[in-house]
Amino acid sequence: MTKSFLRSAVTALAIMAAAPAVYADDLIIGLRAGPDSIDPHWSTLGSQAEALRHIYDTVVDVDDKLQLKPGLAVSWEPIDDTTWEFKLREGVKFHDGSDFTAEDVKFSIERIPEVTGPMPMTLYTKYVDSVEVVDDYTLRVHTKGMAPALPNDFTRLFVVSDGTSMEARNEEFNSGEAAIGTGPYKFVSWEPKGDLVLERFDDYWGEEPAWEKVIRREIPDDAARVAALRSGDVDMINYVPASDYLAFQNDDSLETFISDSIYILNIAPSVKDEEPQPITVNGEPVDGNPLQDLRVRKALDLAINRDVLVNVVLEGLGNPANQLMPEGFFGYSEELGPREYDIEQAKALLAEAGYPDGFEIDFTCTNNRVPGDAVVCEALAQMWARLGLKVNAQALNGTVFFPAAAREEYTMTMSAWGTLTGEAAYTYGALTHTKDAEKGFGNFNRTGYSNPEFDKVFDEGTQTLDAEARKKLYEEASYIAMEDRALIPTVILQTVWAADKDTVEITPRVDQETRAYEIKPAK
Amino acid sequence: MLGFLVQRLLQAVVVIFAMSIIVFLGVYAIGNPIDVMIDPGATQAIRQKLIEQYGLDQPLWQQYLTFLTNVVHGDLGTSMVYNVSVIKLVFSRLPATVELVFVAVMIATLIGIPAGIYAGYRPNSIPAKAIMALSVLGFSVPTFWIGMLLVMAFAVNLGWLPSGGRGDVGSLFSLQTSLVTLDGWRHVIMPAFNLSLFMMGLLIRLTRAGMVEAMQTDYVKFARAQGLPDRQIVFRHVLRNISIPIVTVFGLELGSTLAFAVVTESVFNWPGVGKLIIDSILQLDRPVMVTYLILVVILFVLINLVVDVIYAQLDPRVRLKGGK
Repeated sequence: MTKSFLRSAVTALAIMAAAPAVYADDLIIGLRAGPDSIDPHWSTLGSQAEALRHIYDTVVDVDDKLQLKPGLAVSWEPIDDTTWEFKLREGVKFHDGSDFTAEDVKFSIERIPEVTGPMPMTLYTKYVDSVEVVDDYTLRVHTKGMAPALPNDFTRLFVVSDGTSMEARNEEFNSGEAAIGTGPYKFVSWEPKGDLVLERFDDYWGEEPAWEKVIRREIPDDAARVAALRSGDVDMINYVPASDYLAFQNDDSLETFISDSIYILNIAPSVKDEEPQPITVNGEPVDGNPLQDLRVRKALDLAINRDVLVNVVLEGLGNPANQLMPEGFFGYSEELGPREYDIEQAKALLAEAGYPDGFEIDFTCTNNRVPGDAVVCEALAQMWARLGLKVNAQALNGTVFFPAAAREEYTMTMSAWGTLTGEAAYTYGALTHTKDAEKGFGNFNRTGYSNPEFDKVFDEGTQTLDAEARKKLYEEASYIAMEDRALIPTVILQTVWAADKDTVEITPRVDQETRAYEIKPAK
Repeated sequence: MLGFLVQRLLQAVVVIFAMSIIVFLGVYAIGNPIDVMIDPGATQAIRQKLIEQYGLDQPLWQQYLTFLTNVVHGDLGTSMVYNVSVIKLVFSRLPATVELVFVAVMIATLIGIPAGIYAGYRPNSIPAKAIMALSVLGFSVPTFWIGMLLVMAFAVNLGWLPSGGRGDVGSLFSLQTSLVTLDGWRHVIMPAFNLSLFMMGLLIRLTRAGMVEAMQTDYVKFARAQGLPDRQIVFRHVLRNISIPIVTVFGLELGSTLAFAVVTESVFNWPGVGKLIIDSILQLDRPVMVTYLILVVILFVLINLVVDVIYAQLDPRVRLKGGK
C-alpha cells in the first residue's frame, strides 16, 4: 500500500516535471488584449478586430503599412458621385461549406446597426444609404452624399453568412455555434479574457497559413507575458515593455521585431476664450487665454526636445513626430519639416506674447493607455519648466481622463491618437475640424480650435472622389492645422514583438496587429 | 440560532444595498462609460444615440431605480463590454478564483499551524528562529514581487512549472476544476503558494504566540506533573485553547486572501474573477462591478457567519444569542 502510493507519487512528480509536448505546427501567442466577443459586429476595438480577422474576412484588407489591398472584394471603384461598385471574389467558402456571395455582404452591412454595442460598428457604415446586389459577385453601395473614404471604412467590415441571426446574441458566437466566417482559421473555443483557440481552414481562398493550430492567449500583465515567453509557454508575445526590450537584445535565444506604430502622443492646448482650468501668473488668473496666441503655442512646441523624448524617456522606442500621422499615410504633408528645438527662440516668443516670466498651467495626460504616456508627460513638464513655465503635470488613468476630457474640463492635455484607417480624414476630421454635429466632424475637437481656411480645404477633400486631388487637399489641410499648432505632436510610439528565435519569423505591422496567418516559421 | 441567522441575512441585505448605491455614485462621479469605451471615429450623433440606448442620459436616481427593478426580477444586468449575462460571466470566472484561494488556504494552514506549534514549543531552537524569520518575510514582502521571483526561478530558469494560466480543466461532480488533473495541479501550485504566504506568516506568528503563552500556564504544568506525554498536552489541550484567535484570523484572512487574489492572478495570468473585475473597473462596466461587489459582500457575511458558529463549538462560553 505504502509502496504503491510512493511509486505513483514519484511517477506523478516525474510527469509534472516533464515539459509539455511541443508541436511544430502549433503557434501559441501571448497577447496583451483579446476580443470581447466572437460576434464581429459587436465592437470596433482594435484587439477585437485583430482577433476576429482570423475567423472572418473583411471586404477590403490592409497591408502592413495600412494601405488598402483586396480582401473579399477584388476591386472597387466609384461609378457615380454616390455609388461605389465592388467586384467580389469568386469561389470563396464559409467554414460550414456554403458559398460566399454578394448577399452575405449586404446582410452583414444591414446587420451592424442591429447588433452593435457601446463601441459602435455603425462608424464604418455611417455613409451607407442602401446596398444593391447586382449579381452574385457584384455589389453596389449607395452612399449618403459623397463618400470617398468608403473603401477605408470597409477594411473593418467583417462578413458573416446571411443565415446568421440578426440579433445580438453574443453567447451563440462565443460558443462557436454562429462563429462561421470565410477566414483562414476556424473557431474552436474562447472564453472572455481566456484563450482563443483556432484551427486552420483547409478551403481558405488565400495563401495557406503555416500553422495548423493557433492559440491566442490573453496575458494583460507585461511581466507575466515576458515570463511566459522566457519559460517557453508561448512562442511569441506582443507589446514588449521597453525595459525588457533592452534585455532581450542580449538574449541569443530570442528575436525582437520592431515597427513604428500609428500611435502619436499629441498635446492639445485649449484655445477657447476662457480656458477650463485657469492659467495664472503669481496666483492671479491672467486676462484671456494665453494659449489662443499662436506665439505661445509655438513657444511650447519649440521647447520640446523630441530627441530626448525618444532616446532617453522612451529608451529608443519611438520617433519624433511632426504631424498627427506617420509618414506615407494618405494626406501626410511632405512640406512640413522636422520640428525644431530652440529654447532661446521659444523664450523670445513667450516674451513677445507678453509672458516674459511664464505662467502656471495645468497639464493632464493618461498613464495607462499606451506605453510611455506617463513618462513623456512628466518629461514635457520639465522641458516647459526650462522655458519658465510652472506646469502642474497630472497623469491619470484613462477611466478618469476620458470622461473628463469629453466634458472639456482640461486646459491642456496629452493623449495618444492612432490613424486607424491610414488616411487623414479620420484624424483631422475628428481632431482639428470645427465641431459640427451635422456633418459629423470635430467630435474629438476638445480644444475649441476653429479655422475657416482649414475647414474649407478639408471639406473640399471630403467631396472629391478623385484620389490624387483629394490627397493634395488633405495634405494642404494637414499643413494648415500643423502650422497653426492646433495640436502639437510629440513622438510616434513604436511597437515591439519578441519571439523564440527558432520558431517564428514576424513581419511587424504598423497597426500593431498580430496576425497568425502572416507569421512564418523560422527557417 | 435561527434568529441569529435571520439577523445576519438582514444585515447582509442592508450592506448590499449600501454597496450598490456607492458603486452607482462612484461610476456616476467618474463619468459616462461611453466616453471611456467609444471609438475615436464615432460622430456626435452615434455617441448621443448610445447614451440614450444605455439609459445614461437619465438622472442617477432613475438609473438606479431601473437597476433595482431589474434585480427584483432576478436580472442583474448584461455586461456592456461582453454583452452576456453578468451572472454567467462572473460565475464562469469564479471557480478558478475559488480553487486558487482554496489551495492557498490549505497550504497556509497545513504549513503555518504545524510550523507555529513547533516554533512555540521549542522557541529557542534554531529551526524555530528560521521559521520566525521566514514568517516575517511572508507578510512584509509584496506578493507580486515574490510571485515574479517564483516565476523567474521555477518557470524561466528551472523550467519545472508553467509560468501562468490554469492548465487542463476536468470536472468533478459537474464542477469545472483543474484540481482533478495533473496539469491543473502543475499550474495551480505556484500561484497558490504565492497567495498563501501572507496568511501563512500570520498563522505561524499567531500559533507560536499562543503556544508560548499556553505552555507556561498552570494547566500545562499540572498536566506535565500528572505525567501526560507532551504530544497529548499540545494536541489535546493547548491547541484547543489557543484556537479561538486562530479561527478568527483564519476567517478574516480568508476574505483578504480572496481580495489579494487579484494581484496573484495578474502575475500568474490566472483566469479568475480578479482580472475580470479590474478590467471592468477600467472600462466602467457598471453591471459587472456591482454584481462582483455584491458577491464579495455575501461571501464576507458567510465567512463571518461560519467563524461565529465555529467559535461556539470551540468555546461553550460563547453563546450565539446573548453572549455576544
